[in-house]
Amino acid sequence: MTFRIAILAALALAATSGASHAADPRYPDWPCTQAKVPEVSLAAVWAGPPLDDIKDAWKSDAKVSSLVSKLAARKTPMDEAEKSVKEFLAGSAADKATNAKLLFAGLFETLNAQRSQVMNGLERTTRKQREAAEKIRDQTLELQALQSATPRDEARVEALSNELIWKTRIFEDRNKVVRFVCEVPTTIDQRLFALGRVIQQEME
Amino acid sequence: MQIEVRTRMSQIWRVGLLSTALLAAAPAHAFIAYVSNEKSNTVSVIDTDSWTVVKTIKVGQRPRGIDFTRDGKFVMVAVGDDDTIQVIDAKTQVIVDSLPSGPDPELFAQDAAGKILYVANENDNTVTVIDLEKRARLGDIQVGVEPEGMTISPDGKTLINTSETTNMAHFIDTATRQIVANVLVDARPRFAEFRHDASELWISSEIGGTISIIDPKKHEVIGKVTFEIPGLRKEAIQPVGIGMTKDDKTAFVALGPANRIAVVDTATRKVTKYLLVGQRVWHMAFTPDEKYLLTTNGVSNDVSVIDVAAQKVIKTIQVGELPWGIAIAP
Repeated sequence: MTFRIAILAALALAATSGASHAADPRYPDWPCTQAKVPEVSLAAVWAGPPLDDIKDAWKSDAKVSSLVSKLAARKTPMDEAEKSVKEFLAGSAADKATNAKLLFAGLFETLNAQRSQVMNGLERTTRKQREAAEKIRDQTLELQALQSATPRDEARVEALSNELIWKTRIFEDRNKVVRFVCEVPTTIDQRLFALGRVIQQEME
Repeated sequence: MQIEVRTRMSQIWRVGLLSTALLAAAPAHAFIAYVSNEKSNTVSVIDTDSWTVVKTIKVGQRPRGIDFTRDGKFVMVAVGDDDTIQVIDAKTQVIVDSLPSGPDPELFAQDAAGKILYVANENDNTVTVIDLEKRARLGDIQVGVEPEGMTISPDGKTLINTSETTNMAHFIDTATRQIVANVLVDARPRFAEFRHDASELWISSEIGGTISIIDPKKHEVIGKVTFEIPGLRKEAIQPVGIGMTKDDKTAFVALGPANRIAVVDTATRKVTKYLLVGQRVWHMAFTPDEKYLLTTNGVSNDVSVIDVAAQKVIKTIQVGELPWGIAIAP
């Protein structure tokens, strides 16, 4: 039992020390193997006309802003999203170029914000995990001291052992979730690029 | 012979597609493209008639470099994490053999006759020489750290290998298998391509963000192609794959995370146009009639089809995860 806890705790510590050596020194809290790209630049996804004149105009166009929310939601399948873009622009007639710009400006802002939110969440989790690891480390030492004390307080040893097992499990589960969430920024990039490409094709 | 194989293959696929209408309406020139998907460990087979994936073949771990044998009968794919090159029968689309490369093969080049294959092994700083008929290893050539790009001069006498870490292009005499010259290029050279008239060797540098143009006789850099895209940071422009038209007038350069292909006038060495293709565009291949250029886009998991004459992207085809290399049946 004690042996197992020691191993678990060691694992937990190994995991955090790994996380603290981030690949990119600019982002010490970034937990992913994927490189952190804080923002998608417009030029990487858009080769169409400049969007400078659009600014927040997409927000005041009810039709565009509701379409942006629908297209930006990851639960909307890409096939369906692409179809909606085509239908919307096909029905735009003379306003097609303007509508295309409004739509993309909205998607660019919304999806970039979504990405930032996910990335901030990941970094917040890294910090929490670091704290959790410290706590596990301290309690492991405390447990060792309790175990070698005479007389041994069996009740406290058991209580602390259980607490450590529980904390380590939560720690490990969170690490697994982090690995999964690390894929999300890329998924958002892909969505933004694919939607931008459809909009540009429809503009031609 | 090659045409015969190709026609037969595309017939099988068309029947597979249950489309007699398509068969009747099909243009005369249908080609077959094979795309290696580095992350999903598969090869996607694309029919250039319908521009659809007609088959997905499971291969070894981390497939990257891919090419047809000169007779068009087999497709070779370097599966780096399995330390080998797998051989796919183009007719049956089944893996039939493997070739004895060194550890972590990434890219390879074959001589004009299709008899000798040279393989860059990323992990042990060597190029393995393989007899393609006997499928046997003939020897190794010691090269720079992390060999990457591989190509052979049109006369077959010189093998070019680029080293990722030492930033050099090594010129290797194919007869003696000795390095005869080293040319320093910009950071992390990735890919090497000769002009068809052999007058220039173009080498892309992923980190340097340039193409170095080398005089292959004097072993000197005689020019550079640079890239600039308004709104994109310089480090987002990473030249990798290069494709040159048969008349050597136009070169296409894949710019990685810039998501664009640069169209370069080889006379002025200037970019004339940027085409937005897919995310992290990596390598490319022309159809044999040179009407189309197909590019692999690693992050958007697709292949873009460029109309070469119009210099326009006309199609996007979803493939596996992290498409890397592409080869089109001769």
